[in-house]
Amino acid sequence: MVQLNLPENSKIKKGKYYEDKTGSKNIRKVNVYRWNPSTKENPSIDTYEVDMNNCPSKVLDILNKIKNEIDPTLAYRRSCAHGVCGSCAMNISGKNGLACITPHSEIDGDIDIYPLPHLKVKRDLIGDLDGLFKQYKSIEPWLKNASKVESSEILQSKKDRAKLDGAYECIMCACCSTACPSYWWNGDKYLGPAVLLQAYRWIIDSRDEERKERLKKVADELKLYRCHTILNCTSACPKGLNPAKAIAEIKKLLVTANI
Amino acid sequence: MENNNPLSPHLQIYRWHISSLVSISHRFTGIINFFAIILICLWVSLIFLGESYYTFFNLFLNSFFGKFVVLGLSWSFSFQILSEIRQLIMDLGYGFELNTSKVTGLIVIFGSFILTILLYLVGKNFI
Repeated sequence: MVQLNLPENSKIKKGKYYEDKTGSKNIRKVNVYRWNPSTKENPSIDTYEVDMNNCPSKVLDILNKIKNEIDPTLAYRRSCAHGVCGSCAMNISGKNGLACITPHSEIDGDIDIYPLPHLKVKRDLIGDLDGLFKQYKSIEPWLKNASKVESSEILQSKKDRAKLDGAYECIMCACCSTACPSYWWNGDKYLGPAVLLQAYRWIIDSRDEERKERLKKVADELKLYRCHTILNCTSACPKGLNPAKAIAEIKKLLVTANI
Repeated sequence: MENNNPLSPHLQIYRWHISSLVSISHRFTGIINFFAIILICLWVSLIFLGESYYTFFNLFLNSFFGKFVVLGLSWSFSFQILSEIRQLIMDLGYGFELNTSKVTGLIVIFGSFILTILLYLVGKNFI
């Protein structure tokens, strides 16, 4: 049975309030999810008053500002700050996205920042993505081509190459998978949009020779068919990709591929 | 070792979109329709038991609550049908673009109410 409520140890309490010390007139309240593994306490929401006059345009800049100037104990993942690495994926005001490319000017009212939904929290905004990456490994995301010699180039027509557009750009930030209610309830078995998009990327690659095996492997009621076209994945994807469509294409291939 | 770390909030914080709303309503109306069909079967079986039972059931259906139930079921059938058509189109691989799915979702939501009104008018012999 699906558990809609949060378990007892995950219920969120009200946390600390950090008042602005700069005396700025341009203040925004930022509510951030906090949990410290060294205490046995429940997670809480800390509120920070942030001076927006001296803050660059993205949500990640706010987090950096909080960490540098207000509260150095805040923990979050970030690396490239240009929407390429996928580290700073988090839930920003009710929608998953990359903090580094989400402008805070597009958010009305207070800014709420949570970790990616329905993950075991490691600390503050850091969710545990081990399960997702294990599933990613299970689809064997590498080229399988036994007949060609390793030293030679495997040619691909422009048309075949174009099939990979919209699939190879994925940065595995997990915004889509953790936005999917189906993945929330069946994350242990359902592969989820991110991994299925990658499965599709290898299935349609003209250079790959194990297309049928790949299709057979993914053709499972729980692994694939838990997609109910809720489309939270597509609306969450910070790279503008369409995992839901890729899943539909896999379903179509399974009907037509005769395996 | 069991992981006792807290679970990050999900349903509690995630914003609703048109497509997620249509998806959950599709399932919800599906469950309602399951019970609705039981009700219809019951109604039909009552005819076999004799006229008095049938008129008693009619009395229920003509009461305020009965009318509410019938209208509600008309809506849930309408919604299910429209949403299923949208789903069929998606199974063919179309309509996954964000704006398209938003528009088709809105058509399903508003269409279900329009269809309910049409059914009501047909039932009342207005059309």
